[in-house]
Amino acid sequence: MAADDVPRWPDLPQQEPSRRWRLGRPALPPRLRNPAAGKAAAAAVLIAYSWIAAGTVPFTTSALLIVLVPGAVLAVIAYVRPPKRIPPPDRLDLTGFSYWAIAVGALFEWEASAFKDGAPGWHPALTTLIDPVLGTRPVKAAGILIWLLAGWALVRR
Amino acid sequence: MVTRIITIIGFAALILALFVLEFLGRRKGSRIPTLGEWLGYIMRSKAGRALILLGWLWLGWHYFSR
Repeated sequence: MAADDVPRWPDLPQQEPSRRWRLGRPALPPRLRNPAAGKAAAAAVLIAYSWIAAGTVPFTTSALLIVLVPGAVLAVIAYVRPPKRIPPPDRLDLTGFSYWAIAVGALFEWEASAFKDGAPGWHPALTTLIDPVLGTRPVKAAGILIWLLAGWALVRR
Repeated sequence: MVTRIITIIGFAALILALFVLEFLGRRKGSRIPTLGEWLGYIMRSKAGRALILLGWLWLGWHYFSR
C-alpha cells in the first residue's frame, strides 16, 4: 500500500507540546532579560500613573477610573500570569495575631465611633483628617503610589 | 476642641501601634506575625483573597476617588 511507509503511532517522534498546551493559557512574550531595567521601567510607569491620577477631580468618572483600572490590571495579572508567590505561613501564633486583631479592631472602632458621631469638628473621622492632606497633588500622588505598591504586594501573597 | 485633640491622639496612637507590631514581628524568633504574614495566611483561601483585594480596592476608591 502507498501508506505503508508512513510511520504510525507509537512510532511517531515525540513532539514538544506547545507552551499554550502545557500552561493551559495563552503564550506570552518571555520575561525581560534585564530585571533591573524592567524594575526601573515599572517604577517610572507607576510614578507617572500616580502623578496623572493625582490630578483627577474627585467624584468624577476619571477619578473612579484611576482606581478601577489598576484593580482590573492586577486582576488580569493575577489570573493570566501570576508572579512568583511568597508562601504563606502554615499556621499563625494565636497570641501573636491577637495583638494585631486588637489594634486593627480598635482602629476600626475609633473610626466607626467618629463616623457615627457625625461631628467632624469635634470628633473627626480618619477620612476627615486625611482629606486635607491629600489635597496637595504630590502627597496624593505619593499616596496613590503606596496604594499601587500595596496592591502588587497583595497579588504576590 | 479637647475632644478633637483626643480623637487625633487616638488615631495616631493606634496607627503607631500597627507600626510597632510590624517592627516587633520582624524581629528574629518573634511570635507576632508581620502584616504580610497574617494577610498571606488569610489569603490562602479564595474567599479570603477576594475579601482582602476588595478591601484594597475600596481603600483606593474611598481615599482617591471621593
